[in-house]
Amino acid sequence: MPEVKVLTRHFGAPGVTGLEGYRRVGGYRGLEKALRVGPEAVAAEVKASGLRGRGGAAFPTATKWSFLPQGVFPRYLCVNADESEPGCFKDRVLLEEMPHQLIEGAMIAAFALQVSHAFIYIRGEYRRQRELLERAVREAYSAHLCGPSVLGGEWGCELIVHGGAGAYICGEETALLDSLEGRRGQPRLKPPFPAVKGLYGQPTVVNNVETLSNLPYIVVEGGAAYAALGTEGSPGSRLFCVSGHVQSPGTFEVAMGKTTFRELIELAGGVRPGHHFKAMQPGGGSMQILGPQHLDLALDFKAVSDAGSSLGAGALVVMDETTCLVDVSMRLVDFYRHESCGKCVPCREGTYFESELMHRLEAGLATEAELGTLPDVCRAMDGRCFCPLGDTATWFVMSAYRMFPEEFHSHCGAGACPVRSALGAAA
Amino acid sequence: MAAVEAPGELLRVTIDDRQVEVAPGSLVWDACEKAGVYVPVYCAHKKLEPVAVCRMCLVEIEGMPKLQPACATRVSQGMQIRTATDQVRDFRRGNLEFLLLNHPLDCPVCDRGGECDLQDFTQRYGPGRTRSAITDKVHFDKAVRLSDRILLDQERCILCWRCVRYYEEVTGEREIVLQERGVHTLVDTFEHRELQSEFQGNLPEICPVGALTHAQYRFRARPWDLRRTASVCPKCSYGCNIFIDAREEQIARFASNDNPDVDDSWLCDRGRYSFPELNRTERVLNPEARLGGGRQPVAHSEALARAAGALLRVRGDHGAGAVGFLCSPQVTNEEGFLLQWLARQVVGSPHLDHRLEPLPELSPEQFRLGIAELEERDAVVVLGDAPERSAPVLTLRLFKTETKRRRRVLRVPLGTPAASLLEPLQGCRSVGVVAHQEQRSEAVALSRSLAGAGLSSSVLTLVEGMNARGCQDLGVSPAVLPGYQPAAEPGMHGRAILEAAAAGSIKALVLLSPDPEWERDPAFEAALSEVEALIVVTPWLGLASRQATVLFPGRTVAEKAGTVTSTEGRVQRVRTALQPRFPFPPDLRVLGELGGALGTPLGVQPLAGPVFSLIAEAVPPYRGTQGGLRADWGAPA
Amino acid sequence: MADSGPGAAEAPPLGRETLARIRRSKQLYPWASSAILPSLWAVQEELGYLTPAALLAVAEELGLEPSEVEAVATFYSMYFRHRAGEHLIQVCRNVSCGLRGADELLRHLERALGVEDGGTTEDGAFTLEGTVECLGACGGAPMMQVDRISYENLDAAAADAVLEQVRSGAPRGRRSRARA
Repeated sequence: MPEVKVLTRHFGAPGVTGLEGYRRVGGYRGLEKALRVGPEAVAAEVKASGLRGRGGAAFPTATKWSFLPQGVFPRYLCVNADESEPGCFKDRVLLEEMPHQLIEGAMIAAFALQVSHAFIYIRGEYRRQRELLERAVREAYSAHLCGPSVLGGEWGCELIVHGGAGAYICGEETALLDSLEGRRGQPRLKPPFPAVKGLYGQPTVVNNVETLSNLPYIVVEGGAAYAALGTEGSPGSRLFCVSGHVQSPGTFEVAMGKTTFRELIELAGGVRPGHHFKAMQPGGGSMQILGPQHLDLALDFKAVSDAGSSLGAGALVVMDETTCLVDVSMRLVDFYRHESCGKCVPCREGTYFESELMHRLEAGLATEAELGTLPDVCRAMDGRCFCPLGDTATWFVMSAYRMFPEEFHSHCGAGACPVRSALGAAA
Repeated sequence: MAAVEAPGELLRVTIDDRQVEVAPGSLVWDACEKAGVYVPVYCAHKKLEPVAVCRMCLVEIEGMPKLQPACATRVSQGMQIRTATDQVRDFRRGNLEFLLLNHPLDCPVCDRGGECDLQDFTQRYGPGRTRSAITDKVHFDKAVRLSDRILLDQERCILCWRCVRYYEEVTGEREIVLQERGVHTLVDTFEHRELQSEFQGNLPEICPVGALTHAQYRFRARPWDLRRTASVCPKCSYGCNIFIDAREEQIARFASNDNPDVDDSWLCDRGRYSFPELNRTERVLNPEARLGGGRQPVAHSEALARAAGALLRVRGDHGAGAVGFLCSPQVTNEEGFLLQWLARQVVGSPHLDHRLEPLPELSPEQFRLGIAELEERDAVVVLGDAPERSAPVLTLRLFKTETKRRRRVLRVPLGTPAASLLEPLQGCRSVGVVAHQEQRSEAVALSRSLAGAGLSSSVLTLVEGMNARGCQDLGVSPAVLPGYQPAAEPGMHGRAILEAAAAGSIKALVLLSPDPEWERDPAFEAALSEVEALIVVTPWLGLASRQATVLFPGRTVAEKAGTVTSTEGRVQRVRTALQPRFPFPPDLRVLGELGGALGTPLGVQPLAGPVFSLIAEAVPPYRGTQGGLRADWGAPA
Repeated sequence: MADSGPGAAEAPPLGRETLARIRRSKQLYPWASSAILPSLWAVQEELGYLTPAALLAVAEELGLEPSEVEAVATFYSMYFRHRAGEHLIQVCRNVSCGLRGADELLRHLERALGVEDGGTTEDGAFTLEGTVECLGACGGAPMMQVDRISYENLDAAAADAVLEQVRSGAPRGRRSRARA
């Protein structure tokens, strides 16, 4: 059985969304232990766990922490709860099911990094989740799990929930910092990196909700135990969000590196009855398409990267044979056009060019010559933009075009979407 | 990747097979410039922090997988940069295709046509035509009136952010910001509020395209029709360097001519938009003289003879002290110097001034501090009520000193005792004191007290009038001779001369470029109606030209050559940007020839160059300065 | 300016409770500018959208230039600059929802409400928006949010039921939880 339970092991336990219920399942023992063993010991466990960031970039968490310059205070911790990647809803689940697990993880990190202010930046669309989180933070404050003296000790840390207002780009960590400072949420020029000059010009660490939610387990059970759940290259467990043409969409926690895409899809009940698998997009809206030949790949950073895609933010969108990949590409490109912050030319204008082109193609209006500009447009964007948003706006569409060229060409001059037309004829 | 660098060691980098050495901290863009390799930019600007948003300057750097922005990447030892590869060319073409997608392509009616970076780069690097089938561009507002000075065309804007960053970094006013996002992003003011800045004229100049334009220049000229002349802004004594762009002997605009030591490339609106007064066509066009009952046009030589005759008559009847000499601070150094020569050496009168109100005691100590040196002081003390009002561009230098250079800028009221500044100046070793000319004595006293407390301190005095500083240096004032030598017998100051004229003890007045503002002064009117002889050299029609017994057509600052000295003592050239509408000699020759007609030949040609040599002889600190250097008045006493 | 009828100029742009929220936010952060987003939320909750007068008031409270506040307000898609319908319906049409019938859901809502995507019903009760970010409910696709509350696994009947519930003003507390 590929499923493991770290983050999700207490999901659904009675009252676990509240402080009392969370305590009943052993909650905040990690924070207590962290305060006992000291910041260096916590950092050492995190290093031993091999934990890599769950926001999409998979950067080793301990390494990120180690970039903070010695002796420069104040420092800040930002919890990235701006989950907005198409296909991803795992942070939402963690916020809904166990907000205290996140708060505990955040306070463990805050202690390990000796920060005085931690901010949870939650996307504006998560109104309910924000209310749940704020209630949990109030509980944590009254139990002295955060605030000026955590658990009665010398160290204190304020925990502030900050709501976004609708901007995918704020999931990019420097854009998040600008947004939190009260600016337009646009990515910053690097260097300086946030670890050196981040929020309010001070050393800052930005960690994802899922990343931090693992810390209570890692501190209590030990980094090595966590790492052993997965493989050497892909340690630990991870939440995957399976959606699209599967029987039972949802989030599933599986061992990294040991589970295959096929097994993950099976956990979600398999492809819906009467249909068969055509393609899938792992990682979220930004990542490249994979085909039937990739189903037996393990959920392993390197294996998926070698196949030309990425595990990204832990999504998996499954598409059956009724799917028009031009249509899917168009939806994703529209998303990037809507979410481009407008800062750099190739992203601002390139996503517009792409989206207008894909609309014409999906409607069967584009010519072969117009389709011929798609690779050029994408080449002028990919790797040329200020931040990854514009780069990744080309990845799915180009990978789909390469994997299913006939499907794209069949749209040219067709006057309508040929995939839809065929489905209509069959039905 | 890069070798470890020793601090201060020059970095050797290769750009397209050219090698250059640059200082650590240099940008790839700087290195390219030094190597003579042109890299196109929109967002980058020498005076603004890099943002790397336009991507136009992406180049290949060995060892880096992606193209890198030259404007924001620091060089490292041994860096290999390539700007002319297929990859770079391909990207530039693609990026320009993007920029043109939503551009209105209205070049034929755009004021920037011919000097537009979007046009130029498209010519040089861009695609010939778009391959997009998009017919419905994203539309924005055109010709939005941001103020009576500035128009904004949001469709032409390529969102380089320069205007937004200018307001953030240079003036601190934040009038223009980015709004909306993605392809709908635009620049605008809050709720279309009118711009209030007194520095908004810089916006069209930093805009790389035709998005921000001057209302005054709208549909006026094409750049290839303009004749450009480097000169100095005439509106105050700060000495901002400008280009006078003229078309058909009319000034079309003043443009900035970056002098990092003075204006740092910024002009104030008061100066920039002051040129229409120089285009006025109601002018004195002929020499005239009072003959019998009325005044008539006469030949230049006759005007000279009549002027000399009148002056000799007055001197003969009433003595040299019955002749007064007045000019405005708009005269050049050469003109001012000859006026004082005419007064003291030729006529023998001590009554000479370049302004009406008396000045406190003058000394070079009031002027020791340079404008650019403000940035190097640990702290700047600004004395009195906003002295920078009389030299607006100083506001920007003080803002830069405070924000970018992180120096302390203290604003203190008059009468602040030096002792009370020691606390806020704690930890500072050097300090500059800035004051208006009326507070110059207090500024010097404060500076001396600070020096007494162990600080290195000096003063920058802001004088009123384009060349007031030159007039003071060169002794165009009653109490000091050229070079601040005290006059043995001080004469009367400007207003006293007028009052003496009205009272009858001054019988003859020589007015050189009189300030038109004086005409509102009753003392001026009274003086002019009483004097026996009134010799006037002026471009402008008015009370002085009407009352003159002998009138010479003068030249505006745009019509003559010479030098002027800015408030910090920088000697800069003004050049002939417009040919005058009459064939008569310039003011300087009138002065020289008048001396000759009075029996004292000048000894050199009455031209700017030879007269400057006389100045350099009389005032040694002026030697060798006319190329734009500050006159060196020696170390503080 | 834009919406000031006679007398509107004299009315204070923001209520006491909103001002109090803005001042509390300002205390919370090391920089006052961080309080812009929370302040704009407070304004929108009071007025339903952001008026120029309200932006000015926020700038004043936080000691910022009004231009800075407007720059921020217009960047984020969830702030309204114009009055929308009483209830905002947002239909996610990103990939996961698109694969599971989001277009059909949107078309159904257009018919049921008698408005097109982006429009507001004549009675001002509903504004329908079909261009939004992925709303993080891919596991419950297709979905919509009404007033930022998610309704998932919707077919036409389920959507009608939600509209009915909203129209009738029945309490809408029951959250639909993402399936784990």
